[in-house]
Amino acid sequence: MPLPYKTQRVAYPYFVIALLLFVLQVIFGIWLALSYAVTIPQWLVDVLPFSTTRAIHTNLLVLWILLGFMGTTYYMIPEESERELYSPKLAYAQLALLTGVGVTAIIGFIFGWTKGKPLLEIPFPLDWLVVVGALIFLFNVGMTIVLARRWTVIQGSLFGGLVFLAAMYLFNLPFYNNLTIDWYYWWWVIHLWVEGAWELIAAALTAWILIKITSVPRETVEKWLYVELGLFLFTGITGTGHHYYWLGAPKYWLWFGGIFSALEPLPILLMVADAGHYVRNRRMEIKGKLIFTLATGMAIIHFIGAGFWGFLHTLPQINYYTHGSQVTVAHGHIAFFGAYVLLNLMFFYYAMPKLRGLEEFDERRGTFAFWWLSITMMLMTLAFSVAGVLQTYIERVMGMGYMTAQAQMRFWFAILVVLGGALLAGVILTVVDLLTLRAPRSAERDSAGRSAAATVSHS
Amino acid sequence: MNWKSAKLIFYLGTFISLAIFLVLTFDTHRQVETLTHADKLSPEVIAGKRVWHKYNCNDCHTILGFGSYYAPDMTKAYWRLGADGIKRIVREPEKYTTWRKMPRFAVTDEELDRLVAFLRWTSEIDTNEWPPQDQKLKPGLLAQPRPAAVSAGLSPGAALFQEKGCFSCHRLNDTGGTIGPDLTHVGARVPQATIAKILTDPRSVKADAIMPPTALSAPETEMLARFLGEMK
Repeated sequence: MPLPYKTQRVAYPYFVIALLLFVLQVIFGIWLALSYAVTIPQWLVDVLPFSTTRAIHTNLLVLWILLGFMGTTYYMIPEESERELYSPKLAYAQLALLTGVGVTAIIGFIFGWTKGKPLLEIPFPLDWLVVVGALIFLFNVGMTIVLARRWTVIQGSLFGGLVFLAAMYLFNLPFYNNLTIDWYYWWWVIHLWVEGAWELIAAALTAWILIKITSVPRETVEKWLYVELGLFLFTGITGTGHHYYWLGAPKYWLWFGGIFSALEPLPILLMVADAGHYVRNRRMEIKGKLIFTLATGMAIIHFIGAGFWGFLHTLPQINYYTHGSQVTVAHGHIAFFGAYVLLNLMFFYYAMPKLRGLEEFDERRGTFAFWWLSITMMLMTLAFSVAGVLQTYIERVMGMGYMTAQAQMRFWFAILVVLGGALLAGVILTVVDLLTLRAPRSAERDSAGRSAAATVSHS
Repeated sequence: MNWKSAKLIFYLGTFISLAIFLVLTFDTHRQVETLTHADKLSPEVIAGKRVWHKYNCNDCHTILGFGSYYAPDMTKAYWRLGADGIKRIVREPEKYTTWRKMPRFAVTDEELDRLVAFLRWTSEIDTNEWPPQDQKLKPGLLAQPRPAAVSAGLSPGAALFQEKGCFSCHRLNDTGGTIGPDLTHVGARVPQATIAKILTDPRSVKADAIMPPTALSAPETEMLARFLGEMK
């Protein structure tokens, strides 16, 4: 089946690069866990400190998730606007620019070239090139929408989210004299990304896919999109305050942060209910079973990670003891996985077969990989959490030394090294599967090759 | 639900939250001046913040609880270690770490002074009593009247104990930190000569000691060892 619009093809290299960076990210993650579990000799630490590998691990995450979003947007916008992309050339140039900046930055980190701000280490002038890349992207997508003159709620949410995302990055550019103000605006980037802009993008992409693979009317989906976004932004914006408890800001943040972030699970819960609703009302049983699995898995793990694990330590009374401990790490891993890794994988599994000219594909490897990744990530979250509770109790409650607590946590990081290896296997399986998708067996047997119609009639 | 109420939820939700957030942000800017003693943000402190960024300290250490979690939080590092302690560890990290290493950076003396100025300023930020484990080191607390044995007026050894920041890790009569052993009755356990050796080079006595060597002069070492030897 040919793609409805040929410029959708630009998504393909975005996906391939994103997937390769995903593998690299996990490899560096295992190294980090190992650094907690065993002694890395001084000579090696001098050459390649934990700080460098950590910067690489997190930057790869941000880079591949964003490249995934961008590729996804390029895939979806022509279909949604019913028009070819404004400029495929710009899309390729943008990919080359952003990948170039990413690779340069990572090599730079190894040689100590860094801005020195966690997660946002990309130094000047590379950070400005990121802005240029984002502007090219917004221009290209914006022009496509404008020229198409077909304005939908999904487009609005997606484009709004992308502008929001780019705008927040600007708060990372200045040098702040005051450390407190520095972190205050650091969270405008990080928190308002993951609990604001990215949620807008995620909600729009999910809504679009659900319209494509179910028979739920667009109007219903878009109405719920409005409600979900309203709740996400209502709780998410002021919810930023849960990062402002202990950084030298006024005490009222304990109230505003506590109350608003306690409400943050609500929109995610609505999303879970929503997904359940769509699953119950689906009509087309044959196509996209894996997409459904991924969509439901995403909603549930998003709730577990961002909702439940977030809520666990968001109240000031608890956060006083858990702030800046491995509890945060546990939450970070499962929340990113549930909300954004699975979102990307869902879209890759939706778009990749079509980009490769397949009507249907063999879903067995992909389904297995989904369960493998999800279970491994849940176990990792539990291991991080045990380490986090130990740290919280020994260091924060008992008031014993930092390293005393770390010594008790080593065992759990040894477990995490093993789990990290398992996760890597799952990621490699996913990537290989996505890059070598093939038609299902039943279709191979169908000599006419028109399997789709046949399978549908079977059901 | 109809379109009208769906849109209403979106617009009201977004704009109410945004309005609250922006008003609080405006007020926070006003109050942060006092809460962080912004008047003390000297050029040296700001230069120290640049040193902090330059060596990417924040991707191992947390500060204000943010950053990476691989090494101790630096918010109140100045309380724990003092200027000397910070400098010694950054200069020769291999001497103060055991199974988890800190890289040796080619930090200049000037950079170190700036870094210390930055960490001193940071330790004075009003963080709502966070982090919990460092609150016992609050300078105000240590300055309060303490039991006679450690009152500075009583013995020069006791004065040294307080001046050199030993309280950061050790306790005497229920005052001080818990990172190192309680020294209230140390004289009953450890001979004075051994105490003196520990003060000069802790690892000469205990190979995996995490206590940093003190930079005391010989008479100071003797004075402090005598004071501790008498704590029976």
